[in-house]
Amino acid sequence: MIELPELVAGGLAAGTLSALALGGSLLRSRRRRAALMAEVAELRAELEGAEGAFVAEVEHLAARRMPAAAAQLAHPHLLVPGPVRQQTPGTPTGMALEYVLTALREELTAQRTRIDAAAQAGLRGATREIQAALYRLQDALRGLQQLYDDPELAQTLFALDHENEQSLRRAQVAAVVCGAWVGLAREESHVVDAVTGGQARLSGYHRVQVNNHLEPGTALVSHAVEPVAIIVAELLDNALRHSAPDTDVVVNLEHVHHGVCVTVDDAGLGMTQDERARAQRLVAGTDPILLTDLGDPPRMGLAAIGQLTRQFDLSVDVSSPSPYGGVRAVLRVDTHLLARIDPDERPPSASAPRSTRERAARTDPVRERNRHETAGREATVREAPLRETGARETAVPETPVSETPAPETASAESAAPAPPVPAAPAAPDRSGPEDEREHEHVPAPAPAPGREEPGDLGGLPQRRRRPPAAAPGSPGVPRPQSAARRPDEAAAALAALQYGTAAARAPKRASTPEPHRTDEEGGAAG
Amino acid sequence: MTGRRGGRPLVPAYLSTGGVARPSRPHVERLTVLARDGTPLPAGLPAAELALLELLSGGALTVVEAAALLRLPFSAVRVLAADLVDRDLVQARAPIPPAERFDPDLLKRVADGLRALKHQ
Repeated sequence: MIELPELVAGGLAAGTLSALALGGSLLRSRRRRAALMAEVAELRAELEGAEGAFVAEVEHLAARRMPAAAAQLAHPHLLVPGPVRQQTPGTPTGMALEYVLTALREELTAQRTRIDAAAQAGLRGATREIQAALYRLQDALRGLQQLYDDPELAQTLFALDHENEQSLRRAQVAAVVCGAWVGLAREESHVVDAVTGGQARLSGYHRVQVNNHLEPGTALVSHAVEPVAIIVAELLDNALRHSAPDTDVVVNLEHVHHGVCVTVDDAGLGMTQDERARAQRLVAGTDPILLTDLGDPPRMGLAAIGQLTRQFDLSVDVSSPSPYGGVRAVLRVDTHLLARIDPDERPPSASAPRSTRERAARTDPVRERNRHETAGREATVREAPLRETGARETAVPETPVSETPAPETASAESAAPAPPVPAAPAAPDRSGPEDEREHEHVPAPAPAPGREEPGDLGGLPQRRRRPPAAAPGSPGVPRPQSAARRPDEAAAALAALQYGTAAARAPKRASTPEPHRTDEEGGAAG
Repeated sequence: MTGRRGGRPLVPAYLSTGGVARPSRPHVERLTVLARDGTPLPAGLPAAELALLELLSGGALTVVEAAALLRLPFSAVRVLAADLVDRDLVQARAPIPPAERFDPDLLKRVADGLRALKHQ
């Protein structure tokens, strides 16, 4: 019996104990729950804050940062604002937002390039047609210039040709900027011709002064001719445009170690540091060209230069100021783009300035010989004129002395020119080479001025002149040459007279009356 | 391209005269003969005028011949020549009319007259 209450007591005790334990754990769990609840509430608040911040960041991205990033592509000086909160940049959110901007930039750049390429293709196609049409117009105008020589008409034709050249330059530059070929294949040409040709394409070409210090015959290989002409034209156009209309633009052509330099100096305003940096970037041609970058209306000159320098391995520098106060632009043509043309066989164009080197080389011996040092450099321009005129001066006073028996022919000579001008228009030309050879070894040092070489004009007949004064040393040679006409005439006249008198005397001696003599006398009598 | 030598000329003709096509004197014609006289050259002549003078230093030429040799149209060379004549650097002479043969009949009569003189 005793066992039962003990059992009950034991059970009760166990129950109490377990109840206690349960109560304790219940209490603990309740406390933990409360803590958890607080944590959840805190986290929820934090989450809401983060979401708000995220939304704010995205809104900021959409409203401010993306437009700024898009605009920055076109205008690099614009700044893209950062995220709203200072601590965002390092976080995954911040990085994700940066990814958005990067992708946007890439896509926009691709679209811009694509649209620009389409615009360039359109412009290229149009300008190519225009360019071809202008070349045809140029051909027509030059044909007319050869055909008609009425001064008023010629003046109009010159003006039209000039206008046409300017339009051609614009069209060509637009085509080149759009990635087209320069549009014209040329032969190897003198560097000075390319520069002068570029000069002729501008409206203010009167203000350009070209100094040619190149060795005569320095030429450009065929594919570099037109690019150099275009580049020079654009550099000159910039120089003319940004300098006062009463100042000159000076162009110097010089040899440098690696080729030839064309230096264009203007006395204008010059450029600021920024402008100069931009111009240098454009002419370097390293960045691809977008029409949308060139402004409205697009300023294509420098961009065209950039395209050409890249394509043809030329180099242009506009980064230095000119000593005249404006801009100095230097175009360098490397040796591998240079060639040589025999200046005697193919002289540069008549309008192209002569080389100063040629002048120096040729005038020095003459200067010693006949002291014509009057008007400085230009006075002693070339050897040939001076030597010839010197010879002619010595020949002229001598002729009256030797030609005293024929004063009437001398007066006739003053009306008609002394050298045999229309004497043989085609005949000596056709007999060509041997005739020329004779000329060459009969008077030994005959100074043949280079332009007389045969075959220059594409097979057209050319009258060959005799050098009027063969050897300046011997006074005997020029005299019969300059007086060639008079002795002939005198001889002919005297011979006729002599023949007449001889014929009159002859029948007396021979006493054989000629059958027509009576007729003649009858004619003379009647 | 046409058969022109050198293809399309790089330097247009108007550059040689500075765009002027009206000569300063009207008497320069196609066959006017140009000849240099011995005056020394003044400084600062345009390149094309120098080229023309250089050409004339070899002897007298007509204006068209000079134009062909300089590869310029006649209208441009006429301006250059007129300018050089104005500066007394070049003498221009009127075109030479084609020479006329003496009338053989007249010559015969002269000879006969001389003979008749001789006889008397």
